[in-house]
Amino acid sequence: MVDSTTGKQDITRIGEEGLRGRLERYRELRITEEELAVVLLMPVLAFLLAVSFYPIVDTVWASLHTGYVVQLPTQTTEFVGIENYRALFTDGSFWNALGVSLFYTFVSVPVELVFGLGLALLLKADFKWKYFAQAAILFPWALPTVINAKIWAWLLNPDYGVISDILVRVGILSQPYPFLSSPDVALYSMTAITIWKTTSFMALILLAGLSSIPDHLYESARMDGASRWRQFRDITLPLLKPTILVALIFRTLPAFQAFGLPYGLTGGGPGEATTTLVLYTQQAAYNNPGPTNGGFALGSAAATVITMIALVIALIYVATLYEPEVR
Amino acid sequence: MSLVDSAREMTLEDVALWDIGKRFGFYGSIAAMVTISMFPVFWILLSSLKPPSELFVFPQEFLPYVITIQDGQLTVVQQFPLTLENYRAALQERPVGRYLINSAIVASGTAIIDVVLGSMAGYALSRLRFPYKLHVLLLILFAALLPFISRLIPLYKLAIDLQGTVFGPFFGLNQYLGLILPYAAFQMPFAVWIFQAYFNELPDSLEEAGLMDGLSRVGVLFRIILPVSMPAMATTAIIVFIYAWNEFLFALTFMTQDSKRTITVGIALFGGQFNSPWGIITAAVFMSLVPLMVFMLVFQKKIVEGMTAGVGKA
Repeated sequence: MVDSTTGKQDITRIGEEGLRGRLERYRELRITEEELAVVLLMPVLAFLLAVSFYPIVDTVWASLHTGYVVQLPTQTTEFVGIENYRALFTDGSFWNALGVSLFYTFVSVPVELVFGLGLALLLKADFKWKYFAQAAILFPWALPTVINAKIWAWLLNPDYGVISDILVRVGILSQPYPFLSSPDVALYSMTAITIWKTTSFMALILLAGLSSIPDHLYESARMDGASRWRQFRDITLPLLKPTILVALIFRTLPAFQAFGLPYGLTGGGPGEATTTLVLYTQQAAYNNPGPTNGGFALGSAAATVITMIALVIALIYVATLYEPEVR
Repeated sequence: MSLVDSAREMTLEDVALWDIGKRFGFYGSIAAMVTISMFPVFWILLSSLKPPSELFVFPQEFLPYVITIQDGQLTVVQQFPLTLENYRAALQERPVGRYLINSAIVASGTAIIDVVLGSMAGYALSRLRFPYKLHVLLLILFAALLPFISRLIPLYKLAIDLQGTVFGPFFGLNQYLGLILPYAAFQMPFAVWIFQAYFNELPDSLEEAGLMDGLSRVGVLFRIILPVSMPAMATTAIIVFIYAWNEFLFALTFMTQDSKRTITVGIALFGGQFNSPWGIITAAVFMSLVPLMVFMLVFQKKIVEGMTAGVGKA
């Protein structure tokens, strides 16, 4: 069937062999597990290489060069070493944005975790209308961030906002309060809004973790006369630890990269009161056409710093909370 | 009545009271959470139905109608007229319908890619033996930790460079694929993880039975594994769809043409900072929420179940 001198398949022989014969031979060519694994994994790995790993390297590379101008991205750039980082670290706005992001992240995430755990324990029970209530309570999670921003911008409108209205009606305020346009309060308002939205996401993940804890553990604890608190402390919390780790990583990294909420809610204002790191980076990259440190150069340096901080946060979580499963 | 009997009655009554109190507290908390979660949506719907004269007043009217019963007479007093004018304006004067279609295209495309490629990779990582398996899994999960902003600028530069070349349609500005491919890649680690965790839970005997019946490995995958992995597919598709529907940073950067904007970008760029057309914005916002509300009502059970399979066993 195969020509011994050229190694090529002799097409003329196929007719003789017949279709059945070909199929039979094809079956014998069953690929091995390793080959199948390569075939199955190749698309995902190619995807990740192109859209995750290459860009990171390119960002670091760009951060060491003079900036591109958005309109002329193909212009040549020069190597400037750490010049862009020097410009970044001497920019007061960068440090402000770092402070805003750290406050926003490390206030909202712990509060969400506590509220989310309470909510998950509540939703674990079986009750009438459970699925309707669950859908309603989890709904804020599905809200697009920037739509959420618009909703709350309207609810907290300084002149006609319904939140001011309610607070005036119950007698807490005497007149509408500018929650988003007063420099001292805007960041607190933004943090509260994200807590409102993502507590439901925390609850969703923790609910999943709770339902994987076998019921018989609680039953035997009850038989031994353990109080609800003891059950919570000795069964729920330890068994929920892996889920809490996942929930914390899932929430901290996006919170640290907040962009849609400040963009849609306040545009980063008043002043720079709600300008998060990613908003700062986006503005530096796209609204700042200066040739040397401006544009993509400063933006790339800031993006590289954000990547470093995000990886450090993830490492700290994993190192403190990860326990290898013993089987 | 003996003393013992009355003591027992007291106890039972106490228990009943305690039980009622607990129930009341429980349903009260649930009702409070539902109210807190849904009030903003109610308020957006109400605002979108108000005429401009009612929108910009303080204090605001909470209900369009008030029903009073006086001397056995039922009277309905209208507080303000309801109008669909804002919806008409949103659909006719602004391309909100177009935005919704764009979002649907991008989100569906992303979900399809992640389900197909994620299930393939998840299967390999769970069921097949090959060298460096753990390293590959960790590499894929590691990609999930990388911030999106650090991928924005290079991909944007790439998109500009590829404008007008053969690759333009795949990765250019104002191309659906230009958003679908990055979104699919960003959510790929999540998809792979969900599938891998789900496949880990399936018994080996399932495949062995297939192999015994003379199916090839690929045959086992298509005839046995894929049909039983519908729950993982549903979860992945739903969560990836919601992600792509909601994404903002890349959509804002890559869709510069108004007719290609997704709903999130379209709404974010509505009106100016000082003179926002809130009537139209609230109408557009409510329209963008309807698909998500339907989604949550229909699929939330699936989402919670899928998370249980994936996250709970992490």
